[in-house]
Amino acid sequence: MIAAPQLKRWTFMVVMLVSMLVSLACVVYPMYVIRPFRAQGAGELAAALAVARFRGITTAACAVVALAAVALYWRLQTRRWLRVLAAAGAGFVCVLAVLARVNVYELMFHPVDHPAFTAADQVKLDKDDKLLVVKINGEARAYPIRTMGYHHVLNDIVGKTAIVATY
Amino acid sequence: MAGQRLTFHLAGINNQNFLMRDEETGTYWQQISGLAVSGPLKGRQLTLVLSDELTFATWKAEEPQGTVLKDVPKYASEYESKDWDVRMKRVAVVIRFPEHGLKPRDLMLGIQAFGASRAFPYEEVIKEKLVKDHVGAEPVLLVVAMDGQSVRAFHDRIPNVDGAPDFYRMTENTPEALLMDAATGSVWNFRGCAVSGSAKGACLERIPMLKDYWFDWRNYNPKTTIYGK
Repeated sequence: MIAAPQLKRWTFMVVMLVSMLVSLACVVYPMYVIRPFRAQGAGELAAALAVARFRGITTAACAVVALAAVALYWRLQTRRWLRVLAAAGAGFVCVLAVLARVNVYELMFHPVDHPAFTAADQVKLDKDDKLLVVKINGEARAYPIRTMGYHHVLNDIVGKTAIVATY
Repeated sequence: MAGQRLTFHLAGINNQNFLMRDEETGTYWQQISGLAVSGPLKGRQLTLVLSDELTFATWKAEEPQGTVLKDVPKYASEYESKDWDVRMKRVAVVIRFPEHGLKPRDLMLGIQAFGASRAFPYEEVIKEKLVKDHVGAEPVLLVVAMDGQSVRAFHDRIPNVDGAPDFYRMTENTPEALLMDAATGSVWNFRGCAVSGSAKGACLERIPMLKDYWFDWRNYNPKTTIYGK
């Protein structure tokens, strides 16, 4: 026979551990599957992308649940080290919720937030530098490949048309 | 897409072809195909904009009024070096299609048109300077520019002229007088437009072409045929 407060303490601890595991899976699984120099199978990629799509909301919900659980646990638990341990666990779930919002690919290859352009006769490029070029509604635009090979993605408007240039 | 402007971010990698995510709907898109692979817009397809890969000299001669993306000074030190393509050739791959004696990072010029897909080994095209071939049942023309590096593909049919035009490269060629055709005796430039002769003013239909590594092209075009193989 377990005493009621002890049962509650266990319940809160389990709730927090589940929150932690779910958050950890949300952060780690997509990173594990969708990483460079690893072959991606169709099934695991679909699963990883599904997790990635919902990781923001899922980890946020887990953080709220973990914080609530630790608050209630704190009141029922008198031993200080267990209180601190539970608080650290909830803190970890909060950190995971933040990590789930970080785009590691854009940390590696920063996006161009405000693209700027130079006239063709002003730009300093070598004759044989390669460019990715488009012409839309009479407007000609060029994207140097050495620049695009870093940024990879560029949102632009050319000839009043919204395009995304990729390399 | 459907009246909404989407803003794309680099968001992952799928067998070394990257994935983008749009911030408006959270959908994931495959770079090579523009296909939505996961999310609310799954199954939708971005419209391909005709683009070229040209040297600066060739592009500037055609588009003196054009504009060029500026480097972002903060990240310029991280940009690729001039010999990046040599370095990329040595980068490991995760999928391989050892067919036709091709190596994973052999550069191909890929065409998806007329219900078929066909890949042309880049080095071979550069060597030949003018390639007359077929994609599906339709005749196509691959033309190398004066710079010996830029390539464009055209439908090998002159509008309102019956039959094959039979193009050949002019021996004393300039960017504006690169090709001549036997059917009309007209002179054509690298844009695929006739600059003199009876076809003057006519332009050949451009065919979108993608410069890609063999492994990536083959992964998305399993039924591709290969020029010269």
